[in-house]
Amino acid sequence: MKAISLSAVLALLCLALTPFAASAEPGNSSGAGTAQASVKPRIVAAGGVVTEIVYALGHSDLLVGVDTTSLFPESALKEKANVGYVRALSSEGLLSLNPSMIVAIESAGPPDVLKTVEGAGVEIVRVPEVSTPAGITEKIKEIAGLVGDVDKGAALAADTEKQFKSVDRLREKIHKPRRALFILSFLNGRATVGGEGTSADGIIALAGLQNSASMLKGWKPISDEALLEVAPDVIIAMNHGGPQAVTVDSILANPAFAATPAGKTKSILVFDGGYLLGFGPRTPDAARDLLLAAYPEIAKAEQGSDHK
Amino acid sequence: MHAPLQTAYRKTFALVVLVALLAVIALAAISLGSISIAPSRVIDVLLGVDGAKQLDFARDALVITQIRIPRLLLGAVVGAGLAVAGAVMQGLFRNPLADPGLIGVSSGAGFAAAVAIVLGGQIVSGAAANFPFIFLPVAAFCGALGSTLMLYVVASRGGRTSMAVMLLAGIAFGALAGAGIGWLSYISDDRQLRDLTFWSMGGLGGATWGKVGIVLPMILPSLIAMPFLAHGLNAMALGEAEAFHLGVNVQRLKSAAILLVSIAVGASVACSGMIGFVGIIVPHLLRLSVGANYRFLLPASALLGATLLVGADIIARTIVAPSELPIGIITATIGAPFFIWLLLRRGPELAV
Amino acid sequence: MTELLAVRDVSFQIGNRRLLDQVSFTAEAGSVIAIVGPNGAGKSTLLRMLSGEPKPTGGAVSISGELLSSIPQRRLAAKRAVMLQNSRVVFPFTAFEVVRLGAEGVGAGLSQADRDRIAVSALAEADAASFAERGFLTLSGGEQQRVSFARALAQLSAGQTLEADRILMLDEPIASLDIRHQLALLHHTRKLAHEERILGIVVLHDLALAHTFADRILVLQEGRLAASATRAEPLSRAAVEDIFGVSILGESCAGTPWRSFDHGTSPIEPMATFPAAIKLA
Repeated sequence: MKAISLSAVLALLCLALTPFAASAEPGNSSGAGTAQASVKPRIVAAGGVVTEIVYALGHSDLLVGVDTTSLFPESALKEKANVGYVRALSSEGLLSLNPSMIVAIESAGPPDVLKTVEGAGVEIVRVPEVSTPAGITEKIKEIAGLVGDVDKGAALAADTEKQFKSVDRLREKIHKPRRALFILSFLNGRATVGGEGTSADGIIALAGLQNSASMLKGWKPISDEALLEVAPDVIIAMNHGGPQAVTVDSILANPAFAATPAGKTKSILVFDGGYLLGFGPRTPDAARDLLLAAYPEIAKAEQGSDHK
Repeated sequence: MHAPLQTAYRKTFALVVLVALLAVIALAAISLGSISIAPSRVIDVLLGVDGAKQLDFARDALVITQIRIPRLLLGAVVGAGLAVAGAVMQGLFRNPLADPGLIGVSSGAGFAAAVAIVLGGQIVSGAAANFPFIFLPVAAFCGALGSTLMLYVVASRGGRTSMAVMLLAGIAFGALAGAGIGWLSYISDDRQLRDLTFWSMGGLGGATWGKVGIVLPMILPSLIAMPFLAHGLNAMALGEAEAFHLGVNVQRLKSAAILLVSIAVGASVACSGMIGFVGIIVPHLLRLSVGANYRFLLPASALLGATLLVGADIIARTIVAPSELPIGIITATIGAPFFIWLLLRRGPELAV
Repeated sequence: MTELLAVRDVSFQIGNRRLLDQVSFTAEAGSVIAIVGPNGAGKSTLLRMLSGEPKPTGGAVSISGELLSSIPQRRLAAKRAVMLQNSRVVFPFTAFEVVRLGAEGVGAGLSQADRDRIAVSALAEADAASFAERGFLTLSGGEQQRVSFARALAQLSAGQTLEADRILMLDEPIASLDIRHQLALLHHTRKLAHEERILGIVVLHDLALAHTFADRILVLQEGRLAASATRAEPLSRAAVEDIFGVSILGESCAGTPWRSFDHGTSPIEPMATFPAAIKLA
């Protein structure tokens, strides 16, 4: 009547299987990886900006999988396999796509998963996450190298640089910088805004605006009083869509917001979030669009000069 | 007399069925996954056949030996540990609603994990982006043990531990830990918040032989100690005073059980995050079929807990392949409705 | 007659409440002691002191000359079995499993099969064999009490392998039992005393039963030993009226059911003529 000792069973099981722990030698697999050196690479993109750049380079056919943060272009998640959240990847899931390379942003993980996948002969390339114009062009060139189209990459990078320069020129036309407030979400009348160090901070600066929420660090809720104190001239809101959609009306319905200079002049700009905050090839366009929307007089001047 | 012998045979038979069930699930766990591997290939790999010439053999072998088998072992050990911990806690607290988290393990681990995720990069510099992944399990484990120790000290006076005080103190501490986690969530950035959320839903992803090697020696002691705790827990079911009269050293039982449970559950939470329901449901289910006697209930809980968690993991990693669902979602989604159904059918038998 | 139990000046104080105040008495093996008294007199407290937990705040208890507090727990479990007032079983054990717990871990040199046998015969002695396989929690209060009694018997049985002198402590063991089982339980206790030299200590409310089945009656009042009766010197009417606050009407009558009974063996004569009716004044 002695109960079966589970520990004995487990111990035996472990003993029986430990040979396998040593058997798999990393780099020994002659499978997909090296054999396809001369064939087109199969790439898994771990990080929205990676996906965006690969598509921009016109080599999306090389992608076999993308992560959940790959929101642009919209077709990415629709036509490619979804490998999950960039920081919660699955080793078997990745391997099932038979990739030759995983291009991952620095924060992709968990590290054990990537290590295991690397041990199966898949190359792991890390792309640094820098949200500056120089960083973006570097990213473009590096990824272009990985997909094997250095020329296209150089062209795209040069183009992006040129676009950034034109945004720089636009910025020079600003006489008096306006104060902007970036709203991430607006639930129950409580706004979460982008403070110092956020990607919102970055795009605001590129658009020649001042971040009125710079006294906050990171994404934080803002109180009504602080709102009146910082008195933004322009409010930038993200368009999520759905029942929680932030609309101009919903913002103005809040008396504190309505009382700000932005509210009084109804200077509320609604943009697609990924467009503004993803630091990739579209960033110069995003910066320009934001700048022109925030400084309508410059926009008019540009239009006028275009017509000449 | 025949009756006791018959009952014993029936219970031993139930244990045999559970072992068989675990074996079947284990085979399924090795054979199923987002990569389809033919059964013949699986057998070849398990038998150590040299298939270097065969297509994809090396990859399949790696998937089976480096991914699926460590994951199976981790899931089995964690599942067994959680279920046994639940049964032990129910016996110590003399309450069928007790679960391993009552002694502060979950709150402490959760808070420590939040600290590691949100503040970790500031505490130790270098490799900041991946810092939490490395430091997190250690922090969670220390948090689990630390909070249990604290509760134990609060509940023990004059060499005697009051389970009622421990329960109440645990509730208060849980609220405090929750507030702490809320505070840390507030100052966290998007990524940290996402990390924290994923961690708190649990997962066996990233299981490696290294991890198995660390977690196994932590959970194994509680599994090995089972036979020794059985009589004491049975006696406790009659009452603490009654247990004393029967010759059980109640204080020693409490201290030993709390220690073993906190280490086992702490290790589980540290490497797999929060996985709920296994600790409460498994012992309940088994009492209906195997009876309340801890001599059978403990090993049966270990077996069924292992089976359930491995089964849940199979679902977690195949249902949205190539992505993965956090395992806590699966155990809760399946566990809660099933538990309600169980209560509707057999409620009066379970409750006191 | 060997002195088995010695209680010397035992007191128990919590805060400034004295639950027991300098209680002293001795008891011999092979006898039955009844502890009676008004509610809150300290009867259950005294029994718990005798069982070893909690420890008295004053005075000492000795068993066979050994200080109770110095007897190791395992040996103590073989020396005495306790049946408490309310059972608080929390899991769906069967009646058999509950009784079997009494035989587990107590005594020495017993195999699992031996312990099973002890449990089975204990159940039979307590007339609980018919519901042995039913869930304990599904039983009626009286049936549960019989099972608890069986558990104590099982523990005593197992303890016999280690200790010759044993004590059976029962705290209001008949509270939920019907008349037949009340008499049966007390009769069995008395039989154990006579045949196996066990010391039985029983807390009772029923004075008539106490006088019928005990060799000695100890009356507690507000934590103190207020009166004591033996076969030679029964409780006086004045003592009963004073301690319990009742008024006794009339004298005893011949042929009342309390004076004698037949339990299938030879009838046991009550130790004194006891009044037929007691009414509150």
